[in-house]
Amino acid sequence: MLIRLVLARLLWSVPILFGVSVVAFVLMRALPGDFAQAAAGTTEISAEALDTMRRQLGLDQPVWAQYLRWLTDALQGDLGRSFATKAPVLDELVPRLLVTAELSLIAGAMAMGIGVCGGLASARLRGRADWVVRVFNGLFLAIPNFVVATLIVLTAGLYFPSVGIFNYVPFAQDPLANLGSMVLPAFSLALAVSVTISENTRAAILEVASQDFVMVARAKGLRRGAILVHYLIRNALTPVITVIGLQLATLLGGSILIETIFTIPGMGQYLFDSISNRDYPVIQAIVLVTAAIVLFVNVLVDVAYARVDARVRYD
Amino acid sequence: MTELAPAEEAAAAAPAVPTRRRPRGAVLLGIGLVMLALMLAITLLGPVVAPHDATRTSPDSLAGPSAAHWLGTDSIGRDVLSRLIIGGRTTLFITFVAVALAVVCGLVLGLSSGYLGGWVDQVVMRALDIVFAFPVFLLAIAVVAALGPSVPNLVLTIAIVYTPTLARVVRGPVLSIKRWDHVEAARSVGVSEFAIATRHVLPLVLSPILVQTSLTLAQTIFTVTALSFLGIGPPPPNPNWGSMLSEARQFMELAPLTVIGPAVAITYATMTFIVLANGLREFLDVGHR
Amino acid sequence: MTHPMPADPEPTVEALDADLARRSALRLLLAGGAAAVAPWARAQSGAPRRGGRLTIGADADPIGLDPVTLAAFSSYDFTSLLYSGLLRWNASMKIEPDLATGYETPNSTTYVFRLRRNVKFHNGQAFTADDVKHTFDRILDPASASPSASLFAAIKAVTVVDAHTVRFELKAPSATFLSYLATNPNGVIVPRGVQTLNTNPVGTGPFVFESYEANRQFTLKANPAYYEEGQPYLESVQFRFFKDQASLASALRSRAIDMTWFKDPKVSAQIVRTAPDLVSAPGKTTRTFPVWLNMKARPLSDVRVRRALSLATDRNACLQTVLGGSGKVGAMIPETQVGGYDGVSELPYYKTDAAAARKLLAEAGHPNGIDLGDYIVVAANALDVQCAQILQQQWAAAGIKVTIKPMETAPLLARWANGEYGILSVALAWSPDPDAILSRMTSDNRYGKSMGMADAALDKMIVDARSLLEDARRAEAYQRIQRHIADQAYVLQIYQYPLRWEAWWNHVQGYVALASNIRSFVRTTWVNK
Repeated sequence: MLIRLVLARLLWSVPILFGVSVVAFVLMRALPGDFAQAAAGTTEISAEALDTMRRQLGLDQPVWAQYLRWLTDALQGDLGRSFATKAPVLDELVPRLLVTAELSLIAGAMAMGIGVCGGLASARLRGRADWVVRVFNGLFLAIPNFVVATLIVLTAGLYFPSVGIFNYVPFAQDPLANLGSMVLPAFSLALAVSVTISENTRAAILEVASQDFVMVARAKGLRRGAILVHYLIRNALTPVITVIGLQLATLLGGSILIETIFTIPGMGQYLFDSISNRDYPVIQAIVLVTAAIVLFVNVLVDVAYARVDARVRYD
Repeated sequence: MTELAPAEEAAAAAPAVPTRRRPRGAVLLGIGLVMLALMLAITLLGPVVAPHDATRTSPDSLAGPSAAHWLGTDSIGRDVLSRLIIGGRTTLFITFVAVALAVVCGLVLGLSSGYLGGWVDQVVMRALDIVFAFPVFLLAIAVVAALGPSVPNLVLTIAIVYTPTLARVVRGPVLSIKRWDHVEAARSVGVSEFAIATRHVLPLVLSPILVQTSLTLAQTIFTVTALSFLGIGPPPPNPNWGSMLSEARQFMELAPLTVIGPAVAITYATMTFIVLANGLREFLDVGHR
Repeated sequence: MTHPMPADPEPTVEALDADLARRSALRLLLAGGAAAVAPWARAQSGAPRRGGRLTIGADADPIGLDPVTLAAFSSYDFTSLLYSGLLRWNASMKIEPDLATGYETPNSTTYVFRLRRNVKFHNGQAFTADDVKHTFDRILDPASASPSASLFAAIKAVTVVDAHTVRFELKAPSATFLSYLATNPNGVIVPRGVQTLNTNPVGTGPFVFESYEANRQFTLKANPAYYEEGQPYLESVQFRFFKDQASLASALRSRAIDMTWFKDPKVSAQIVRTAPDLVSAPGKTTRTFPVWLNMKARPLSDVRVRRALSLATDRNACLQTVLGGSGKVGAMIPETQVGGYDGVSELPYYKTDAAAARKLLAEAGHPNGIDLGDYIVVAANALDVQCAQILQQQWAAAGIKVTIKPMETAPLLARWANGEYGILSVALAWSPDPDAILSRMTSDNRYGKSMGMADAALDKMIVDARSLLEDARRAEAYQRIQRHIADQAYVLQIYQYPLRWEAWWNHVQGYVALASNIRSFVRTTWVNK
């Protein structure tokens, strides 16, 4: 039944992606202004020159013709060339996607680390100090990631002015420096996510402590730690993976802000620039890729849920 | 984006909550309501409470806190505190109206789609999937670029963005509930489908909706301030928290309050709704969706 | 806030006339001012050291590197180092020879340039007169859609006399021809037979293209075959891209970059204040902040309403609050161009008087004030948005209501070109000559028409001034034109300012900040590290 579910969802992804690409295509062309005008700026450029530019970019064709051309190219794997740089979109997209993905993964790992430790600590502290933990959790969940990022930059500027926080280095060039430059931005993203993990960890630990099978296991000689880890992995991980999955699914949502603040060349900035430039091929490609990722992750998440609640059938 | 979709929310609540914690739900709820009341009071009384005109510029830029300007001034000499208060009105107005709109649409869509099932359900859910898959910022930027950065357009955009989530939250319980015995019983007696939907199904769906609405309010604050941060928010000269935060970044070290002020305000507002959501969830004992 | 947006659309340098014989008092003043700058900039602690890398913070990626087809200001930084032209500007803002060692003018419409010998392009190709002809043929070819085409529209023919001599024939005498030739990138020379200049630039400039990673960095290395003796001193130059001003400021402070420039003088002033080793260039004004008025319909077709707007405006307050005083009150032409406004002389309706404004409005039939609708500004330009808000308040004090509407650049430009607005602010793209600004005010120009210009007397004044080849007379004519425009309040000009305010650490020596913000003088820069 699960296989049927997965297949069904995957099959549905195709028309959805199609729908998304059409909506994006039409939406972009509904925007006032186009690339030719944006590129020319306030330079006195003749109408003929603008029209020549448009013809070269294929913008003089009717919208449906443009879409068909894009679609046929896309189905063959050619996502076109950026209007601005004239380079193939995929060549520019993939490195940025990898950067954003790397950021998200590091954030996820950090969230897990912080969350698990936090959960452990708060389980230990339960009782009087419990509400303190809950307040902090609420705070970390509430404070938006871009606010965290801004405050980090502020603190660095005030108290550590000589520390370079905008020194992004690509992984291929220097892995260690790259990871170093990702620490602060990943932390900004990780903080809110870690709260959920922390609460789940805590609950899982407390539940473990009160279970019968634990006593049996301890009687059998298993160490408390081993039980904890075993149970944790089973219980805390599912929500963790769900949450990280959702984080990846909203690549553009959170990361566009963090990327802007920490000047990391990821998908977020790329999308933003291309919209301002009216660089249609780039926008289409980004929308397509992100939608595909979102859909895929949604399938995974829903699968995870189908297992949890057998009563709810997602047909 | 802090992804507090139903999945995450359910994940957060997944381990069963012992009944011993029920009273604490009331405490949380109480705190949340107090925070909300305080926030609403200040913003509703805005122009009365604000010490200065939020848009009056002066050459006294980036001043530190003083008797005249409790939180100092920004880069073109406007009072930070007044801008925070007035900015709160705009931000919260957009948030409430947008979420209200999304709730209504989500309710209608989720109820009808979940209850009617079949191809209606499929079509509606797939359409919502398209909206859901669309990058939020792209949609917002596109709407604002096409229609202009006004408050109504922002409200519309945000309502569109959050309708799918709310519709899903509604639909889930509806799917399970509509098979329950007393619904079958009512149906067998001949009560109309509409009556069943509204009188039997709807009340059972309310709890998850309340919780999700609260969460959505928190998410919307995030989205509204994030959009204003990126420059897609309500146009000047009326202040809003997101653009205040963004503008302050250039002079952060010289006037930290211009950053800390909006940061605290945004966090406070978000926290209010999250506390409310958690309190509601525990109080109403919403185990899972 | 400023967020990633396409490059600010403006080209380059302030106007300079090549007729070195006569200079206006203004020009002397400027030269004196510039001379005061130049020795300061050249005051080096010791002799230039060779080698090293200069890291520059840039706020926008280049959009295209082919000088014939590019239009984005963000590309100019790079073309100024990769390419060179027949002439160029020097630090005192005079035109001097570059690839051309000299020229003759047998008559007022012919220029014969003698070209430098033994110059090679970065790919080893020899530079000859054929490349000059090729460049201008490309520019003037409609299929290239070159933004420089309108600048060189006066060229009738370019002829290769021999390998090192080229002749330009103009359709009519032009006071601006040499200025445009000296301007980077409009007048630079590209090699024949190289098709991929947009991504793989090849020129005769002091630096050679090495690599470009979009949104990250752009690296150039020294051109070992550069024809200027001893230059460049640096071994390499690296531009690092930062999306916004805050990151630039932080990067500069933490020495991740050696130099950069800011869009907001307040930022620049604050940065420099925080560290004694930071140097900031005194900004020379090169652009203005105009408020364009659509006069095709009422109420702005009524000169009284426009004059009321001008009277209600307190230009000095705008200058102080938005620019922190780092600029001057403006008129049509910025100070650094021929006939530029000095910021202090009296101009009609420049003296702020809200009461007089109200009176004029009443006379025009609006005794209870007036609502002028949307005031459209470029959303991405923080300074513009700030100034608009201040103007809104000032005008409100005189009973004039406007609603600020920040708009994306692309649609704003379309609206402006088509005249679909009431009030709109966008700064003009530059050219080295004030005629490019003023010709937009003529009634047969596309922009003039979209504004509803119909002043025959003004048209004549502008056309006549074009053919004046002497600085002094031109300056005088332009002063008169500006006075007339201010009197009729066709356009409201608020303040004038440099495009960017530059700042660098003092271990960077030998750099001269040009008011045009083209970093040509990186070629004379060396680092003392």
